[in-house]
Amino acid sequence: MLLQLPGALMAVLSITLALAFFYSKQLPRILRFLLVALLGAAVLTSYNFGIGRDSASAGLLAMLALKPFETHNHRDAKSLLGFSLFAPFAAFLQDQGPLTLGLSMAAFVLSLSAFSALAQSTRLQWRSTLKSASSAALIALPLALVGFWLFPRLSTPLWGLPQNAVSGKGLGDRMEPNEWLDKLADDRVVIRAKFLGATPRRDQMYWRGPVLTHFDGSAWIRDLGARVRERPGLEKETNAIAYEVMLEPTSTTDLLVLDLPTLAPENSRLTYEFTALVQEPINSVQRYQAASSLQPKFIEPLDDVTRIMTLRLPNELNPRTRELAQLWFSENPDPITLANRFNTWIQKDFQYTIDAPLLGRDSADDFLFNTKRGFCQHFSSSFAVFMRSAGIPTRVVTGFVGGRYNQFGKYWMLYGKDAHAWNEIWVGGRGWVRIDPTAAVAPENILDTVEDLQSSENFAESMLSSSFETSDWLRRSWNELILGYNASRQRNLLRPLGFDTDDAKQLTFAFLIGAGIALAFTLMLLLRQRRENLHEVEQAWRVFIKQMRKQHHNKLSHEPASRFAERVAELYRSKTPGSAERFNQLCARYTQWRYENLEFDSGEIKQLVADLRHFRPT
Amino acid sequence: MASENSKDVVERFGDRAARWAFIRPKKPEALPIELGRSRIYVLPTSFGLFISGVIAVLLLGALNYNNNPAIFLAFIIAAAAHNSLVHGHLLLSGLSVKTLHAEPVHVGQIMFVRMRFEAKGARDRRGLELVCGDSEEKFDLLAREQIEISLAIPAMQRGWMQTGRMRLSTIRPLGLARAWSWIRPDTHLLVYPALEAQAPALPEAQGEGSQSRMHSQGEHLHQLREYRHGDAKKQIAWKASARGEHLLVREYETQTAKEIQLDWFMLAQLPYEARISRLARWVVNAEQSACRYSLRLPQEFIASGNGLEQRHACLRALALMPHG
Repeated sequence: MLLQLPGALMAVLSITLALAFFYSKQLPRILRFLLVALLGAAVLTSYNFGIGRDSASAGLLAMLALKPFETHNHRDAKSLLGFSLFAPFAAFLQDQGPLTLGLSMAAFVLSLSAFSALAQSTRLQWRSTLKSASSAALIALPLALVGFWLFPRLSTPLWGLPQNAVSGKGLGDRMEPNEWLDKLADDRVVIRAKFLGATPRRDQMYWRGPVLTHFDGSAWIRDLGARVRERPGLEKETNAIAYEVMLEPTSTTDLLVLDLPTLAPENSRLTYEFTALVQEPINSVQRYQAASSLQPKFIEPLDDVTRIMTLRLPNELNPRTRELAQLWFSENPDPITLANRFNTWIQKDFQYTIDAPLLGRDSADDFLFNTKRGFCQHFSSSFAVFMRSAGIPTRVVTGFVGGRYNQFGKYWMLYGKDAHAWNEIWVGGRGWVRIDPTAAVAPENILDTVEDLQSSENFAESMLSSSFETSDWLRRSWNELILGYNASRQRNLLRPLGFDTDDAKQLTFAFLIGAGIALAFTLMLLLRQRRENLHEVEQAWRVFIKQMRKQHHNKLSHEPASRFAERVAELYRSKTPGSAERFNQLCARYTQWRYENLEFDSGEIKQLVADLRHFRPT
Repeated sequence: MASENSKDVVERFGDRAARWAFIRPKKPEALPIELGRSRIYVLPTSFGLFISGVIAVLLLGALNYNNNPAIFLAFIIAAAAHNSLVHGHLLLSGLSVKTLHAEPVHVGQIMFVRMRFEAKGARDRRGLELVCGDSEEKFDLLAREQIEISLAIPAMQRGWMQTGRMRLSTIRPLGLARAWSWIRPDTHLLVYPALEAQAPALPEAQGEGSQSRMHSQGEHLHQLREYRHGDAKKQIAWKASARGEHLLVREYETQTAKEIQLDWFMLAQLPYEARISRLARWVVNAEQSACRYSLRLPQEFIASGNGLEQRHACLRALALMPHG
């Protein structure tokens, strides 16, 4: 948790904590007040006075670091302990990886030890306290797991989610060619996708995100109206591609789906622009299934509103692009031919680079006729301006492309740097058709990863990459098992067992059953008494006594073995003299072994054990 | 000493609820008392309530954000807290009170009630607390062992005294919950009457005697015996005591001829309770001076005698005088 703070703040807090640990005298009130003010100021300044999730977490930590200064009795210690339970929670808001969970479990065991230390009046024995705390934590597991799997989940949050101070991995609602995209240097995996049936060709793996329609001369902006419009109909697809995606938190509301989605992921809605939207910003790992069509055919012609919107350009900008577009259009009005001609042109003269020069006011003109260097944003933006100038409805689509295959886990990984922008043009009779001008310039930069280019047989490298794949697979399994669990998966889990989880009563019932089972198990663990370290003869003697009880000869607890032997032998003597004799002898041998310290060799002991265990009165 | 202030809300509630009709044990019971599971009560301590509040907030927050590790964290804390309730219950269950006794003391003195506890099963029971009134004793009881606890209870009234409701409790293992059981032994403990502080000298002895008597002062050393409550310090044989475990006092043989008659009716001028405490003082004094003495009470006459038995018989008779 401390590690997630900005460095300077981390240092200050660590020093405070260390001070609190070593300085046990009570500070004067003024000094404490000053410390609080100072730390508060430190927290606020390191987050630029923004009040949000991160600064609140840091504040909590600062207060926890300060609290020991005024912790002097049991009561203070208790409240400190109670509030410190929130620290791992705050840590989980930032990161939900296995490491954080492991650390927080250690913190949990420590808290339990502290609880029991507070409950002890005698001198503390850390070792045994820690040991019993960890066993308490283990025993708590079954119940905790039931709670985790079966406790009714909220399908919609009760209140809003805290704003991220740091932006997520998602794509924004706007794109500006001049703006450097941090995404392009982001090495973190964003999408893990597994194809359930056929796998599309790699150059068809376009993961569709926000669609940008409005152009103001410098930036492409999303059309918010598209969210509420019905999506146009598609011709029925016979061989749709089905897949499962695990999406890292993006802080946006877009689920990334393969271009072009026909079946929306659960809990999401396909908009007019065929993006999959969810209600709330994605702040936890999402796991969903969807289906897409690689060759979509739109049934209806383009409606007028969209046609106007996807043709609109700022009036007096980019005159040269307009001129060229209209010229080429007059030579061949077919949209596909026009797009191909554009692509051939840039393929010949243009260069793909992430280090692109800044563009002027007429960004398309500047790029196409002047700098001729850039990356996907420049290409897609200029292409869209060009096509619109020619009167062909065009829009910009952002998303992720390419990715890397994880041999170990058999799924595709897409990184932040795989973020991409491409275009769609409207072709009468077919509908929206994907055109990727960047691919025309530098297919290897977007469709292939560097690793594939150097497909050398280097052993070390292949080891490295396979260990990397394994670790990513572990992370994915973690995501799948732990983080992706939500209300809908809970529903899927319970449905085969005959629970209708839409019904709150049944869900509660399922939870209660599960909790009952776990409780019984826990109780069993708690009741399990330490097995006594008894000698085998002692054990056999107990079996013997038990056997005699079944014969209604109950050995009283205060009765010595010899007296018991006499009493029972007396009873036998009248009925079966033979067993009376045997009984008496057996008891005598036991007494000898137990009380008279006679030397028994191993054979004799074995015999005694066998006799005791198998004694039956005839 | 557990004062009322140091008890938390739930503890006070438990104490108050002890008077409710359904709380077991419903009436005083004979020893040995086994603490079965139906008479053990468990409630969270105020710290436990605070922690459950914290857990509730954690859980609500975690569910809201569907933050799975946080949900897990909240549940594992909750499960551990819940298990500690069961664990606390198990710490008490299977205990039994084997014996309870106390040496009689005079009103106004502290009575040390000794109770022997025994634990069944292979479970160590640590952090037990026995509370009776204002006095409190903490102890650990290991598996299959017995322990004798001595609880100091002030003796308030002469006659038969009962310890009343005693509470055996523990807040282990986590301090989140208190498990307790009420113990109401029906054992009657004798409290001798108060001793008059400044009593006049013993009445004159009557009659002649020539028996050889033990006396704490005299010429010929007769024997050493164990120290008894009330023996003078100078009688203690320190050297001899140092050799053994117990304090020993010297007893001397002396010729005595005294026989004192302690008569209720001689003290007609005194109020009722004052008479009792004067007689009690005289009994103690007479015993110390090694006289033979007899005691006449309205309903009883204790014939002349001497020694601990005699002393006890007299004091017991005085203690059990009907309350006037």
